[in-house]
Amino acid sequence: MTLALKWGIPVAVVAACVGYLIYTASGGTSEYYVTVSELRAHAQTGDVRVAGVVQDDVQKSDGGLHVTFTEKDGTASMPVEYSGTLPDIFKPGITVVAEGRLGADGVFHARALLAKCPSRFSTQPYTS
Amino acid sequence: MILGYLGVGALLAGLVLGGFSTLLSFWAGAREDPVFIQVARRAFYSAAAMTLLASALLEFALLTHDFSLAYVAEHTDLSTPIALVAAGFYGGQEGSLLYWTLILGLLGSASLVASSSLGGRVAAYAAGILAAILTFFLFVLAVVASPFALLSVTPPDGLGLNPVLRDGGMLIHPPVVLAGFAAFAIPFAFACAALLAGRADASWIAHTRRFALVAWCLQTTGLLLGMWWAYHVLGWGGYWGWDPVENVALMPWLATTAYLHSAQVQEKRGRLRAWNFGLVILAFLLVVFGTFIVRSGVVPSVHTFAISAIGPWFLGFLGVCLAFSGVLLAVRASALGTATTRPAAAISREGAFVLQNVLLIGVIAVVFWGTVLPLVSGMFGVERVVGAPYYERAAAPLLAAILALMAVGPLLPWRRAGRPTVRALRWPAATAVLALAVLGAAGVRSVAARIAIPLAAAAASTVFTEYGRALRRNPEAIARGRRRYGAYLAHLGLVVVAVGIAASHLGQQEKDVTLAPGQQVTVAGYTLTYTGAASRQDGDHTDFIAGMQFGDRTLQPSRATYAGLGGQALTHVAISTTPVADVYVVLADTNPDGSASFRVIVNPLVTWIWAGGAVIIIGVVLGNLGERSPVGELARRRIPATLPV
Repeated sequence: MTLALKWGIPVAVVAACVGYLIYTASGGTSEYYVTVSELRAHAQTGDVRVAGVVQDDVQKSDGGLHVTFTEKDGTASMPVEYSGTLPDIFKPGITVVAEGRLGADGVFHARALLAKCPSRFSTQPYTS
Repeated sequence: MILGYLGVGALLAGLVLGGFSTLLSFWAGAREDPVFIQVARRAFYSAAAMTLLASALLEFALLTHDFSLAYVAEHTDLSTPIALVAAGFYGGQEGSLLYWTLILGLLGSASLVASSSLGGRVAAYAAGILAAILTFFLFVLAVVASPFALLSVTPPDGLGLNPVLRDGGMLIHPPVVLAGFAAFAIPFAFACAALLAGRADASWIAHTRRFALVAWCLQTTGLLLGMWWAYHVLGWGGYWGWDPVENVALMPWLATTAYLHSAQVQEKRGRLRAWNFGLVILAFLLVVFGTFIVRSGVVPSVHTFAISAIGPWFLGFLGVCLAFSGVLLAVRASALGTATTRPAAAISREGAFVLQNVLLIGVIAVVFWGTVLPLVSGMFGVERVVGAPYYERAAAPLLAAILALMAVGPLLPWRRAGRPTVRALRWPAATAVLALAVLGAAGVRSVAARIAIPLAAAAASTVFTEYGRALRRNPEAIARGRRRYGAYLAHLGLVVVAVGIAASHLGQQEKDVTLAPGQQVTVAGYTLTYTGAASRQDGDHTDFIAGMQFGDRTLQPSRATYAGLGGQALTHVAISTTPVADVYVVLADTNPDGSASFRVIVNPLVTWIWAGGAVIIIGVVLGNLGERSPVGELARRRIPATLPV
């Protein structure tokens, strides 16, 4: 067996395994990342992540562990329902990414809410 | 105001000196003119000194609250504690780039001082490449994203730092991570210089390895500090979220880990030269790529950096670095491939290192694909993203294989494994079986835990076997071979980290509850009693503090509300560490009727991660501090100095 074969075959086998892992894992777990209007335009059956702005109608119940609100982008809006602890910076006006699926009732049932920090470092850019 | 002008002046002076040093270094290096090489080097030191001056000016402006500078006004205010005002230096986009440039200048200067023995041409080219990188950063700072931009009207007070960042972690995590990023430029510069000059000799390995180790240690510390900070501050009970910002810090670390292992094959056997160059270059390219990804906002991330104009510049810089190092490697690779020793069998120490490298590259590929998927899928249709399940499913088998390799690899001899090796493997194998039995008896049902923990135990057993053998034969061997035994200690630390990650990740239990005073909650056998909440006005925020009785301890998770920031809340997690688990309590909300809502999380063995991390660093530092230069030793082994170019 030549040197190239002796070393090349095991390396190629491992590389193929890595490729297979990436292929199956990303096929099985990737989610669409859309805005509210994109979700309204093309309903997705599986889990999606939907970015939009939290509106003023935030309703908390169950001691703050259950929340409903409307998420809106430029044109479309949708009601969102979520159970669990909220991100610290969650409040009307911020951008959130809701991860979950749109139910038959037209309500988006979120498994997770990710709040986008307005900026990593500063509160807001100086406008004066 | 005057500070702003002085700062811009210092940056521009540094830019000119850096550009001069770049051109002169290559010109003088090609002619091997010692006088001009020296002049070019001193121009680099001067550019670094100008960066230091600019940094001092920015720090002075921050500490004196000079709000005429936009950067000072946007990142601090009069009420910010002085330590955090000082930390504002690297707390924003422009300042963090200046800090990065400063570290590049200082570490670059140190590496050039130390490289005088490398021979005129390599040292000169290395200086030229470092100067080119420094010049790029100074250009971005002076022209595109200046920390010295002035406001037309000086405001009476600044905007201050976001409450999330008002924390001790802010003082230590960002500077270490950014210093780590900056440090990867040095091995890259020496690798490219050696390729340009056609030298891949022992002194090159010694040099590059030393600075790769510095970058690796900084990055290891930075990653661990980031995990620790996220765990203690952010209140979601975890320490790693597979966010792009985290991924791009992990990838260069993985590439350098691979290099530090495969460099030994080159040192001991004179093989894998082209591969080693490739790994060092890859680590730096991943740093530049990561900077582009996180600072341009092209992929969705929970951390949104202030999006600025620097994205396209970094993309261009990445293109130049990729083309330069790629062409260099392609042109020189055939010459580098020359074998100087007889080829080894696949089952040998060499084989273990190669397999470890391929597995680490595999992990990098997994993380890279997950990071760029939104970008790639967005180009061909609807943007798709992956979360933790993807990374776990794709990377976990590779990480398990790496653990298994840590158990087997150190016991394999160079060249070819024979029957004695099989005998040496009996201890790790027995330990793995024992660990599996203990897990079964303890009722651990998770398949992942039943794979990861026995493999980790086997890897630990290998370390103890090696130490035991050395102690029985000749204890002095440990001091003499301290690099080897330091590395084993680092392996042991990594094993402890791996067990901590596996246990806390697979064994985490959590519960969301609303409790009235006096009520109890039990999670994973730990019982907590809610004793009531109190509120307290503290400066610009109101604190709601809940009391949770846990055994004889009282945990006080709290929640601060900042009225001035539109009611933004900030959670302060309460953590009680017991020997086997952390009890982690987050106050979600307080209600008018006196009840309060909590998320209670029990994380087994999280402290192992921090303890193991410390062992890794101690092992690497002890193994390499005051180590004899390996150059002489390599020369004795007659590994040829220059390449047949």
